[in-house]
Amino acid sequence: MIAPVSGASRKGEPRIPVEDRLFSLVLALLATETGLLKSEILSSVRGYAERYDDSGQNANLERQFERDKDDIRELGIPLETVESPDRPGDNQALRYRIPKGLYDLPDEVRFTPDELALLGLAAEVWREASLSADSQRALTKLRSLGIEPREPVIGYAPRLRVRDAAFEPLRQALDRRQSVRFHYFKPGEGAPRERTVDPLAVVLHEGRWHLHAFDRDAGAPRTFLLSRIIGAVEPVPGMTFDAPPADIQDRVLAELDELRSRNAADLAVTAGSDAEVRLGRRAVLRDEDAGVIRLHYTDVAVFADELAAYGPEVRVIAPDSLREAVRERLATVVAAHRGGGAA
Amino acid sequence: MARRSKPLKAPDKLVFLLSFVPYLLERRVVDVAEAAQHFGMTEEEIRDAVRLIATSGLPGSTGTYQPNDLFDIDWDSFEDDDVIVIVHHVAIDDAPRLSAREAAALMAGLQYLSASPESAGSASLASLRAKLAAGASSAPSRLGVAETEADASLALIREAVAEGRQLEFDYLNARGERGRRRADPLRIISQDADWYLQAYCHTREDVRNFRVDRMSDLVLTDEPIGDHSHRIVPDTLFQGSESDLDVVVDVSPAALPLLSDYLADSSSREVDGRLRVTLRLAHVHGLKRLVAGLPGLVTVVAPPEARAAVADWASAGLAGYPEHGTAESDARSPHPGDGTA
Repeated sequence: MIAPVSGASRKGEPRIPVEDRLFSLVLALLATETGLLKSEILSSVRGYAERYDDSGQNANLERQFERDKDDIRELGIPLETVESPDRPGDNQALRYRIPKGLYDLPDEVRFTPDELALLGLAAEVWREASLSADSQRALTKLRSLGIEPREPVIGYAPRLRVRDAAFEPLRQALDRRQSVRFHYFKPGEGAPRERTVDPLAVVLHEGRWHLHAFDRDAGAPRTFLLSRIIGAVEPVPGMTFDAPPADIQDRVLAELDELRSRNAADLAVTAGSDAEVRLGRRAVLRDEDAGVIRLHYTDVAVFADELAAYGPEVRVIAPDSLREAVRERLATVVAAHRGGGAA
Repeated sequence: MARRSKPLKAPDKLVFLLSFVPYLLERRVVDVAEAAQHFGMTEEEIRDAVRLIATSGLPGSTGTYQPNDLFDIDWDSFEDDDVIVIVHHVAIDDAPRLSAREAAALMAGLQYLSASPESAGSASLASLRAKLAAGASSAPSRLGVAETEADASLALIREAVAEGRQLEFDYLNARGERGRRRADPLRIISQDADWYLQAYCHTREDVRNFRVDRMSDLVLTDEPIGDHSHRIVPDTLFQGSESDLDVVVDVSPAALPLLSDYLADSSSREVDGRLRVTLRLAHVHGLKRLVAGLPGLVTVVAPPEARAAVADWASAGLAGYPEHGTAESDARSPHPGDGTA
């Protein structure tokens, strides 16, 4: 970072660091009430002004400004565009500003040292790069309040991973309210089928990430498992949608919970086995003598995968759909592993 | 404060500058060292930022950055005593709002913590989430994490870690062996829905990862734990060792991320539309469970005894389901007669 120690203007110096230009731009746009014209910004704000050409050849600089605007908005800074009342639709007459009232953290949003310690822990939860970066930026912003968090929690590292490739493109589509297309493999269907959907919420339930979306072909909302999305999630150009209700993710979670409470499985587990110990933790009913436990589950296929891993330690008694699903999975594994192998 | 491993990118530096200014105004007089500690930056990064801020400001009506349109600091304090005092500021004085994504990331992280003994109840979590939503410049992204019930053992284990006392418990390991263990608890670590205790095991005389759901009959003793500061507590849950088993498998590309913990190296080659990779596991017991839990997605190629172990495991499971007749003669539903069996 190059910086002179005097308070003098740096106009004329060749290389201004990116953060210096962005900082100067934010300051300039916060200080203006009426907004600044693009030509005013490019000719006077540090980082642009040094490269501004009075004769009007500023295409590179204009592209730079467009990218900077996007970067600033990505950080949650409310950069507004105001049309000229006299010249609507004229891009050269557009004014840019950041309204201070929308920029400043509201006064009621203040945190105690305990709360900040908890938020620090919440930020550490994410192993996935973009969520982790977002969390860390949020913490930096909250540090501006000057409150020291309670001593960080040691000996404690809760972590959440996101291993579905579809997650990040879906999260972006969610924020941009951008319709997307992907291929979805539904159990029971022979092949993946293309879906065009408006993504409304992404939720983690029972260890699986789900997308709740409006399916444009079906004309109704649907919930998809991210792990069954095959290949890329592609934005559909020009297709957007209205913001869903603010608490839609809570409603989706409640629906999944209800679905879960409606599905019950009776399982015979071998005494002393891993299945007895681990599945037993989740049992809602148990018959110790018969070695039978009852568990709730959300999705037959997901639960059948889990049960198949226990091999002979667990046997599904009911329902038949789950029983058949587990049997089929075990048969698949046997068939793939009998014989010499293809090495 | 956690130290960053990578240099900050320009947007992150901007966020820091926009947060650093209101911090300095709030604190009025602050040491470089204290500021560095607070933001988790180096002292030199803090000094660079101070110099940048002190020469920043507004282009003003003339577009020439006149002194009165610039930030100014007490240069003597800064250069002689390493103390930062802003004496003139422009444009910003308050903390910036969170972005929709930033707020959502913290809110969903908090929901995940609801399962942990660290959170002081879901009521305070709910109010904290509401505050984050109010602090966002637009409605937070619709990202949700189901609140799960904390494992009952977790609170006791947490207490043992916090107080540095030894734990005794029954443990069923992945090989199916059960035994009483005494351990010095070091750290609780979770991965998605699974919770582990990393502890120095007195029986094995080494640091081990214990699955919390395989621990039972826990007793919190009065014995203090030993000094383990020289030991490395692994940051990942899956550690290689010399007794490990290397297994060649074919995996469908979509399922590869599910095996990321077990990959022996990063090499893979395509075989009939699948990826051939080598996994490293502690023993065949872990392998058979892993492969049976990903039916149709992973096939063991070699060695033959690993293939056989998987085949035997799955066919023993399959034997519980005779081809004909689904009638239940040898097991009952927990509540016979309620119509579900």
